Amino acid sequence: MTRLLVSRIGQAAVVLLLAFTASFLLLQALPGDAILIKYQNPEMGLTPEQIAEIRVLYGADAPIWAQYGNTLWNFLQGSFGYSVQAGVPVNALLATNLPPTLRLASLGLVFAVLIAGVLAFAATLAPFAWLRNLLQSLPALMISVPVFWLGIMLIQIFSFRLRLVPIINPSEFQALILPVATLALPIAAPLAQILIRSLDEVQTQPFVSVARAKGASRPWVLWHHVLRNALLPVLTIAGVLFGELLAGAVVTETVFGINGLGRVTEQAVSYQDTAVLQAIVILAAVGFVLINLVVDLVAPLIDARLKNPVGASA
Amino acid sequence: MSLISSSALRRTVQPTLAAVLLTSVSAMAVIAQDQPVTGGTLVYLEQQAHTNLYPPAGGFYPNSGILNQITDKLTWQNPETLQNEPWLAASWEINTDATEYTFKLRPGVTFSDGTPLDAAAVAKNFDVFGLGNKELGYPVAEAINNYDHSEVIDPQTVKFVFKAPAPGFLQATSVIGSGIVAPSVLEQPYAELGDATKIIGSGAFVVDSEVLGQSLNLKVREDYAWGPANIEHQGRAYLDAIQYIVTPEDSVRIGALLAGQADVIRQIQAYDEGQVEAQSYSVLSAPTRGVNNNAVFRPDNPLVADIKVRQALTAATNSAEIVQTIFSSHYPQATSVIASTAAGYVDLSDKLVFDLEKAKALLDEAGWVPGADGVREKDGVKLELSVYESLPQPQSRATFQLLSQQWAQVGVKLNVLAGDAGSAAVDRLDPLKTPVVSAMVGRADPDVIKSNFYPSNRDALLQKGGLNPNATFEDAKLNDLLLAIASEPDNAKRLELAGEAQVYILDQAYVIPIFEEPQVFAAAPYVHDVSFDAVARPSFYNTWLSPR
Repeated sequence: MTRLLVSRIGQAAVVLLLAFTASFLLLQALPGDAILIKYQNPEMGLTPEQIAEIRVLYGADAPIWAQYGNTLWNFLQGSFGYSVQAGVPVNALLATNLPPTLRLASLGLVFAVLIAGVLAFAATLAPFAWLRNLLQSLPALMISVPVFWLGIMLIQIFSFRLRLVPIINPSEFQALILPVATLALPIAAPLAQILIRSLDEVQTQPFVSVARAKGASRPWVLWHHVLRNALLPVLTIAGVLFGELLAGAVVTETVFGINGLGRVTEQAVSYQDTAVLQAIVILAAVGFVLINLVVDLVAPLIDARLKNPVGASA
Repeated sequence: MSLISSSALRRTVQPTLAAVLLTSVSAMAVIAQDQPVTGGTLVYLEQQAHTNLYPPAGGFYPNSGILNQITDKLTWQNPETLQNEPWLAASWEINTDATEYTFKLRPGVTFSDGTPLDAAAVAKNFDVFGLGNKELGYPVAEAINNYDHSEVIDPQTVKFVFKAPAPGFLQATSVIGSGIVAPSVLEQPYAELGDATKIIGSGAFVVDSEVLGQSLNLKVREDYAWGPANIEHQGRAYLDAIQYIVTPEDSVRIGALLAGQADVIRQIQAYDEGQVEAQSYSVLSAPTRGVNNNAVFRPDNPLVADIKVRQALTAATNSAEIVQTIFSSHYPQATSVIASTAAGYVDLSDKLVFDLEKAKALLDEAGWVPGADGVREKDGVKLELSVYESLPQPQSRATFQLLSQQWAQVGVKLNVLAGDAGSAAVDRLDPLKTPVVSAMVGRADPDVIKSNFYPSNRDALLQKGGLNPNATFEDAKLNDLLLAIASEPDNAKRLELAGEAQVYILDQAYVIPIFEEPQVFAAAPYVHDVSFDAVARPSFYNTWLSPR
């Protein structure tokens, strides 16, 4: 177990360095940069000499390898530099925006899992074939709904028409209802789809018939035998869905006007705010690495066959 | 204030019983308006988060919406007369060649941290605005030309000395970029002034708290007693607090206003005005009084180097159709380089007549003949131009798409590009990639023409000595005119020069004026007396909320 952990942490470090380097190079390769966008903008009315001075101030005049070294060194010390656009240190930007996104994303994921579970059980156990078909096709519908449209619809209906939850100045609890729903529904869809299919597959296996023959009820068999076997593919997908969550957060946060990493990312992309983007890429990479590590560690608990990798592959 | 809410306007023009009833309602509103109510929080929805709040960076609308409440200026430009009137400065003297300005400050003014707003503080502000600060990264303010140094004569008297005549300086003391902040603010690194809580001014409101990128709370300053001398309201502001909430999505801002969750919203699109007015909410629009929303040519591009081509495209542009199709009555059709509400405006609509036949004839004369696909050609080159949509300007994409259709009628192709900000910023400096750009500047002084066209300012035409290092184009006559506007001490002569510049620019067909850009806001019916400065920046000093 310790060896596994150590090797995974080593892998993670390599992944992070690669992510850092790749994002640094890609951002450098883009035409223009944040300083150009902000200061060469005719609105500022600056002369080329003044802009050159600003470049020196931000260290953007150094050769690219020196900038790479500097940025990497600063990152290792936990200093992410300044956001050219927002005019504040990137650390301050992250400190304000990371917690709300984490809360939104984790609640979104929890609700997505709940919705997916309920939907999959209902689709498997529902009494009539037409109802089962209807429920089984729901995820496909949910997947095709664009997040921004869903968000605007939820706001229009629940906030502006029915006036159930305010969008402006909501309480902390109210502030989460619609955004979490907006984020959870599209994430729940692929989870539900995979869970439904995987439940179906496991149900056809002989041990299910044996359990039924012994007199167990359908829901009981489903919950105690089938679910555990059907969960593994879902868990793997859940790890991948972390990326979806981040992407969903961009749209959700913009539509609802709540601050968070998604909004910051969107702004940083439009203004090529390299320091901010670089920090976000690293954060996202850390997130991916951690979540996949958790998935790998949890998988053996669900499926005992994975506890001994050698035996499983035989 | 010359603002008329359009719903009020409609009421007076419909001679029906309903109108009579409504008029009496608005008459009651007038009675109610005589007694402003103190108290309440105004919820203001902003489209974008503010950026750096160094006052000269106040040109960005979200920044100015905040700076206008928390900072005061030396003078107040009366939006009706465009004259500068006393504010923080009780009086001033200007020498005959406009190289020395001496301001007597109003006594007893303090910043919100308790320090006095005296001559030394004002001197420090303008030294940084006029000269910048390389060490801390402060850029020079656009509105201040030829600045040399300041002299503190006594604690209430400050003198500014200029290297060359600076007739625009008095007006420059009233612009949004000249808000006075505590000297301690200007001792911090420029790169950290995006934090609103660091901005300490003497304004009627003070920054209370901020959630970066999401919301900002201002609270009233109880001891405020130095509003512009010539406005009726003195003393503290009526509102207790203002809450700014960044709400990027258009439909959410409007929906929240109409659902009673917000009081004032900025930036409402022309196509949304109808639904706001239909519910007796008011649409408030204010002119920016500067260079119009113009399509500007880059004469260094060989396709538009020929004046005949530029004149042809001017004749092929139907700005009336653009205004009627895409915009509303709040967006007047442009009739000159600068707005009809701007200082020094002359009506040049006879130079901007839409005439397809004339356009075709001019293009024929210039040697551009229609090709097989309808696009004109000359020596195997197609007359195909590109323009980037300009995100800060209202419906820029739709405007250029319609323009593209209009130009297609005379065989000229216009591609409307929607690149990322980086590509747009780079291509903007290359006349070969951007033969046409969109440009406008808001400032109620003839200097604004120089700001837009002079090579060391915004350099809209990309002249030699400006932003494009490879530029060869230079119009010495235009530049002389622009310099003359910025340094002519005699006001009447200055306005005359501004007129000449407008005529010259249109005679050379350097720009095609499209519309006069306003800033459009919407407010709930119980919000009264939102005022705007000369360039459409809102001020909530007079604003009050009647009971709902």
